[in-house]
Amino acid sequence: MDRRRFVAGSAATAATAATAAALAAPPAWSQEVYPSRPVSFINPFPPGGAADVVARPLAAVLEPILKQPMVIETKAGAAGQVGAQFAAAAKPDGYTLLIHIVSISGFAEVDRLYGRQVKFTNDDFIPIARFIADPMVLVVNDQQPFKTLKEFTDAAKAKTNDLIFSSSGLHGALHLPMALFLKAAGVDMKHLPTNGGGPALTAILGNNSQVLCSSIAAANVHLRSGKLRALACFGAQRAPALPDVPTMKELGYNIEFYLWVGMFAPKATPENVITTMRQASKQAASDDKFVRAMKNLGQDVAYLDQPDFKAFWDADAKRVQEAVRTIGKV
Amino acid sequence: MEIFDNLLLGFSVAFRPDVLIYAFLGCLVGTLVGMLPGIGPLAGISILLPVTFGLDATKAIVMLAGIYYGSQYGGSTTSILMRIPGEAASVMTCIDGYAMARKGRAGAALAIAAVGSFVAGTFGVIMLTLVAPPLANFALRFGPPEYTALLVLGLVFLAYMSTTSLARTLIMACVGLLLGCIGIDVMSGHFRYAFDIKELGDGIGLVPVAVGLFGLGEILSTPSKTVVGKVVPPRFAELMPSRQEWRQSVMPVARGSVLGFVVGIVPGSAHIIASFLSYAVEKRVSKTPEEFGKGAVAGVAGPESANNAASTGAFVPMLALGLPTGPVTAVLMAALLIHGVPPGPQLVTEHPQVFWGFIASMYVGNLMLLALNLPLVGLFVRVLQIPYAYLYPLIIMFCIVGVYLVNNSIVDVWIMLIMGLVGYALRKFHFDPAPLVLGLVIAPTFELSLRQSLVMSSGNWTIFFTRPIAGVLFAICGVLLALSALSWLRQKDWRERLAETETGKK
Repeated sequence: MDRRRFVAGSAATAATAATAAALAAPPAWSQEVYPSRPVSFINPFPPGGAADVVARPLAAVLEPILKQPMVIETKAGAAGQVGAQFAAAAKPDGYTLLIHIVSISGFAEVDRLYGRQVKFTNDDFIPIARFIADPMVLVVNDQQPFKTLKEFTDAAKAKTNDLIFSSSGLHGALHLPMALFLKAAGVDMKHLPTNGGGPALTAILGNNSQVLCSSIAAANVHLRSGKLRALACFGAQRAPALPDVPTMKELGYNIEFYLWVGMFAPKATPENVITTMRQASKQAASDDKFVRAMKNLGQDVAYLDQPDFKAFWDADAKRVQEAVRTIGKV
Repeated sequence: MEIFDNLLLGFSVAFRPDVLIYAFLGCLVGTLVGMLPGIGPLAGISILLPVTFGLDATKAIVMLAGIYYGSQYGGSTTSILMRIPGEAASVMTCIDGYAMARKGRAGAALAIAAVGSFVAGTFGVIMLTLVAPPLANFALRFGPPEYTALLVLGLVFLAYMSTTSLARTLIMACVGLLLGCIGIDVMSGHFRYAFDIKELGDGIGLVPVAVGLFGLGEILSTPSKTVVGKVVPPRFAELMPSRQEWRQSVMPVARGSVLGFVVGIVPGSAHIIASFLSYAVEKRVSKTPEEFGKGAVAGVAGPESANNAASTGAFVPMLALGLPTGPVTAVLMAALLIHGVPPGPQLVTEHPQVFWGFIASMYVGNLMLLALNLPLVGLFVRVLQIPYAYLYPLIIMFCIVGVYLVNNSIVDVWIMLIMGLVGYALRKFHFDPAPLVLGLVIAPTFELSLRQSLVMSSGNWTIFFTRPIAGVLFAICGVLLALSALSWLRQKDWRERLAETETGKK
């Protein structure tokens, strides 16, 4: 009920656990009980990024459940590749886990495209749980006349005005869904890559670009103020936050794309560790505090346990890889 | 009058004892984080973010913002005392601040930095109070072409920055620009000069380079110098700046405040650019430009004010539009979001007590920082009395830990150590490392915005002149270049005079 009491509680347990761990020499059974020391979550993006804002509230609710401190370790770089590679190479003992987003499936494909050595593939990770999945939304700014996706595609095809779409970077999470849509619609458009979700949004608000695929959470404030207009949503169903915006499927494009955040362990992590983390994640995902923190971010918790997450991830990886191939080498 | 009612509401929130405590905590942590090399406001805020989950939104943002602007105060301390930029934006302070310290005016430099920061911070908050929404919309018009123009202006100013010869400055700047090309090409996805080291994918970090070149380079070159022996502890009266020093710092502080605020509101620009520009401007308008690099008061007052005003200016797009201008404001925005207070145009109307409480807390926070930093000047100066044999190993340790913590990357530590050796060599051959750092800051952004502009115009270069803001900025560049060409033709360049005196000495 009260967030203060909850955090104070979790801090206290964390502190007690840490003290206990520090005082007692590691007992013989320490190999069997997981976790017996702090667990690190690798956040592969800069602080405040998509993975970070989920990881921090999650760590706060996981601490009292697992009775160990959960540490967020930021290893940003190369659009999330550095952190993912670090986690893939980490000792598979369950003390280094990864929080990553939809773009995790694209790195291997991009490396193959450029003839670089593939650093890791999806097989290097065991999926544990998915926490949120925000459908992407295609938005235009308020200086564009388009009210529907059809008006927009027609104008883009006719090239009556020079339309530009911005993105968070080449092959980034905001570029991939746009590439899928452009291919499906048979439209060619100029691409303005930037170095992050924030700059991509700044570009469209300043009319330096006119179109953007954004997560609903990031665009919502500007949709409400009328600075941006949503034309289509990339979810399977209409999003609760945007009930009036049709989905791509309704409009005849068979495209789905989500900005999701999930937890992964390096492959060969012991089964008992995975089980413990799955149970803890399940409990955390339904925790009031976590749900409220996500709600505040404009997200609904879209929890999936391992089997469902695995199936979702496999399907999602195909979408991502197809998008990367569609974009091709620039 | 509405604004006074709003501010009154804000102060009623900011003066609540519990809010005051969190503002103080934020300022304290910010000062500490700013002082430690490497650990910047970004690390400080993200580490403390989970702690704020138990607080209400106002206290959380007041504390986290305190860390941010507090770090701009703290960053100058190690720059002045040890030539180590505690925070990236303090690079310029290293040059003249450290030179002042060598002359025994460390206390004066610290006091001027603190007061300048206070004036600039307060100026920034006043501007934020009065003109945030219209300014934010103006700032949005800063697209890639305008940004390109701003950076070209920065490069033109660069020529004025040199404390040595122009050729040496340009060599250093070119090396910096080349180093800035390392990493993934944002437009095409190719790795450049990365040798398959994935950590180099995002380029070479600014913090390891700055800490290595300035701090480590200085420490490494100490053994080969004649050791000065004991630093005489200054008497208290000598800690404070003299009347003349105060007088010399009035105008630089004023110019730095305005310049910093303007650069700060531009989305995507870093306050480090504000401090570079301020330094160049001060040197340009100074009657005694040859003093720069040898302990010019204006060289401390200007940049220190500019980086503080810029950190306040960065709040304009964040609060008014919900757009983060840099990594630090992105974390602050995430903090607000997690607390259920989405920043953006509706923030003022939907959460007035958060918005105005936050603004008011910045007035209070700046006062607190002044009160916190001025008395500490005497204490900090005493650090210089620690014998080098004990002090320097400690500093090297702090540098390594701090640089590692930025990205938890061992590659960054190697870069810092290598840059330390480079910095040593540069000192031996009397090269100024500041243009190198500026080149490194400018190169990636300059390249990106230049190429973005050309994407927008389908390769048509007139885009840089047909857009009004970009056109005006380029016109300023043109005037500056023409002026310097003129003065060169008249053979009255101060650099020549400087060169003459130098050769005369030899």
